[in-house]
Amino acid sequence: MSNIAGKVYAMNVITPIKWYRVWINRLIFWLAQTWVFRSKLNGLITLSLIHYARWAIVSPSQFPRLDESQPKETIKYTYMFFFSNFNGSWAQYVDSFHMSIPSGLNLFWHKNIKYPGSVPLQPFHSYITYNQIWTNHYYTAYPMAASNDVKAAQRIKADLLSFMSETKGLSAYDFREKYNGLIKARQNDISLMKCTPIVSLAAAEVEKRRARAAG
Amino acid sequence: MPNKSGNAYGMTLLCPIINGSKNHQSYADIIRDHLENLPLDSASPMAKVPNTYLCRFYVLNDVFYEGYPAKEEHLKSRYLVFSTNFHGEPDEYLQGMWSHALKEVREIWQYCVGFKAQGTADDFVAYMRKCQVDNALFFNGSTDDSLAEQLKSLYLKQEFSRFVYENEGASDEDLQNAFMEFVKRTDPENLNGPTWVPGHNE
Amino acid sequence: MDTILDLNDIQGNILKTYARKEYIFARYIFFSIRDGAKGRKFVSDITEYVTNAAPWGHEDNPKPDATTNIAFTYHGLKKLELPEESLHSFPEDFSMGMRERSSILGDTGISAPEHWDPVWNNGDKKVDIWVSVNGLNETAIEKRYELIMKLCEDSEGGVILLTGHRGDDGRDDLHYQDASALFKDGKATAKEHFGYDDGISNPYFKGCQSNPAFVLGGGKPTTGDPATLGGWKPLETGEFILGYRDEAQEYPEAAMPRLLSFNGTFMVYRKLHENVGSFNRYIKEKGQEMGEDGEELVAAKFSGRWRNGAPITTFPTYKEACQYVEDRAEAKEKFDKADGMISKNLAKLKYYKLLSKLVGFDYNKDLEGGRCPVGAHMRRTNPRGALQFGQKGAFDTPGALVNRRRLLRRGLPYGTSEEGTDKDDGNHGIIFMTVGANITRQFEFVQQQWINYGNDFKLANDKDPILGNHNTDEQGKSDGKMVFEAEKDSSNTPHFCSNIPRFVEMRGGGYFFLPSMTALRLIGAGIIDPT
Repeated sequence: MSNIAGKVYAMNVITPIKWYRVWINRLIFWLAQTWVFRSKLNGLITLSLIHYARWAIVSPSQFPRLDESQPKETIKYTYMFFFSNFNGSWAQYVDSFHMSIPSGLNLFWHKNIKYPGSVPLQPFHSYITYNQIWTNHYYTAYPMAASNDVKAAQRIKADLLSFMSETKGLSAYDFREKYNGLIKARQNDISLMKCTPIVSLAAAEVEKRRARAAG
Repeated sequence: MPNKSGNAYGMTLLCPIINGSKNHQSYADIIRDHLENLPLDSASPMAKVPNTYLCRFYVLNDVFYEGYPAKEEHLKSRYLVFSTNFHGEPDEYLQGMWSHALKEVREIWQYCVGFKAQGTADDFVAYMRKCQVDNALFFNGSTDDSLAEQLKSLYLKQEFSRFVYENEGASDEDLQNAFMEFVKRTDPENLNGPTWVPGHNE
Repeated sequence: MDTILDLNDIQGNILKTYARKEYIFARYIFFSIRDGAKGRKFVSDITEYVTNAAPWGHEDNPKPDATTNIAFTYHGLKKLELPEESLHSFPEDFSMGMRERSSILGDTGISAPEHWDPVWNNGDKKVDIWVSVNGLNETAIEKRYELIMKLCEDSEGGVILLTGHRGDDGRDDLHYQDASALFKDGKATAKEHFGYDDGISNPYFKGCQSNPAFVLGGGKPTTGDPATLGGWKPLETGEFILGYRDEAQEYPEAAMPRLLSFNGTFMVYRKLHENVGSFNRYIKEKGQEMGEDGEELVAAKFSGRWRNGAPITTFPTYKEACQYVEDRAEAKEKFDKADGMISKNLAKLKYYKLLSKLVGFDYNKDLEGGRCPVGAHMRRTNPRGALQFGQKGAFDTPGALVNRRRLLRRGLPYGTSEEGTDKDDGNHGIIFMTVGANITRQFEFVQQQWINYGNDFKLANDKDPILGNHNTDEQGKSDGKMVFEAEKDSSNTPHFCSNIPRFVEMRGGGYFFLPSMTALRLIGAGIIDPT
């Protein structure tokens, strides 16, 4: 039931919204993609902890019904599904999210039933944990890479390829000069990736047991 | 389009599970058990699916009762929830699932309503699209490069960082020679050359 | 709104930096409780001598020769027979204890619990009580120590002293851990064994009783100029003392009943051995590649401060750092000698302005790390507003990611080392102590995410050069790495430091609860009841 895969954590939340309020939530998310609420996303971008996050608003009739044999859903609330992939554990970073983008969080969970607001922390933390669903299988193509590493890697590859073509046939002296330019330009990206630190004793123990069982 | 961000796509699927049981276990529980026991990292079946960045599965038993004065209500079916982040177009991605992880896909989805284990790739795509729900917002704080491109980038970051540290203080000639060796070994322009394997974890 | 704290109720070591008030000697004594009732009596008896935070220098509160403070591990509170409900209401980090959480802290290899001083590995005789004595001189320490040991004897085995501290000449059976300021030419200095001036800055919070000028650099950053008072605001009290509003705008989670935790807090104690020889060797060797004043430069790049205390982000060269220290010393002399109100005030202004340069800065003009490396120790443990990465207004407040991770430090160096020694195996290090309302959110987070990891600084898995738990690779070479970034608009190139060995080793420690005076009396009387 691990929410952890390497350096990344899977957060799943489901929360109800009254049907007549849903249009506001949909509007908020639409506006978040425009200049109106772009600043809220700027906070998320600066946090740089998140690989991908999404919110899906599903009304009762939008729950897929694929066959007559499948009973029709009779629920009345609309449900918001939240999925996030971020670096660090929820316990560790809930403080960071709540302190850095409290108004953004309030917009994204606007009038969800019993949502207490992102400040103070303890009720917010309890609400999210109460409505959290544990992941049954979590996969990342790069467990050793945090979101920051992914972005740093892109910059290094791009610069490396340019560097290779710019330095063909140069003297050693000129090569060195170009090389110094390269490592200076990328000095904040040159660092080695290793496994994640242990963010959870429980998760670490489960991993150990799995490894033992696999022999 | 809230399912896309650049070339990255966020697909959210709610796949209804057949209300039934087998060997005294509900289909939903069987699916969950199965998911829990799937191998991880590069051995995960999803590591075989081209262009998968990150994805997850969970079984949605029911909605939660928030407590008075909220109303208590229940779902009539349980759902296999599959949330995946990938590079490229959705139909192509789903085709990729069918062609590269057919056995595992059948095992995971076999108890879902409307899933045809013996169907075609097109049947699978159509089925999954019926299960898809649109995102209200898809936030991309990471890459939208192809997976091969991204894995190569990560491989190069790792190898080049090692190179820089190892060659600190080298003479100009030694540095240049070492770099030529580095290029030969790591083949930076070739996505099919040395790179990180999907799900690679030390 | 002014926060008024009942200073009579709060233990003195929480609000007072004893070392700055001339208590430059300390002794830490550890006890195990064998009998609950006798343990409680010991607590009641010692409470009479426990120092609170009320100001000294009054007739009815003269400055004592020695102070005493007391704290308990979870196991200790259990042995004192606190009710189950109260015990369970303590947070998990405290109830598990530091030893059980060593993998989170990176206390691996030579720092792992099995290598700690024997006092921490005494089988069923666990550390239950920590008592600290801080003294103006060694005689005062001995006198107070005797008094405390008499109380222990009076318990007739109900409370026993735990021995097994490592000391000089390979001994590992000492009865207590001594610590003191380091001396040079007979005078106490602010230095620790690597040669750095230590304890320059501490968090400033509402009600903390420090000089209000210390909000500069000690408080939380605002959007104002960090070189001025307008750049800082006091932190909320509840980050450091239980029962008060904290930065999340609520009371911190605290054990029940309220009187048990109110005015109390948690303390982290760690005995950190310093490999002085390795450190000296490394900065000397690497320094040779760094040009003028290379050795000092390497030390400064590792730390974020020159060894004389000047922050490298403000004073990028050794010459400037030395000039600053000289100017400051001169200004202090003028201030001390000034006569008459006007000249005194002018001299004070000048001195304080210079003094403020020690702490009144942020990294917004040094985001790339060309002056103070992004991975430098000081920048890791207190990033100030740097985690906004120059994106003004991205967060609710510039300090959003740091205000809840501040560490209030209360330690002292221990042991002696020869200047310039090449030996690692002497008895020398730091007794590191930090005080705060939440161990996981403050100390553990900084230790795990900011010292032994680098993602928040976009440094992948790079570690703090000085405190990081560097390992050895397959070839037996140490694997610590750090980049010294170059300033963009300079002709310099970055330096890449390899093979950084583990400079600091953990020799033992624990998580403690520092109760209020009220709670001490209640615990001693055995009347804590959460019903």
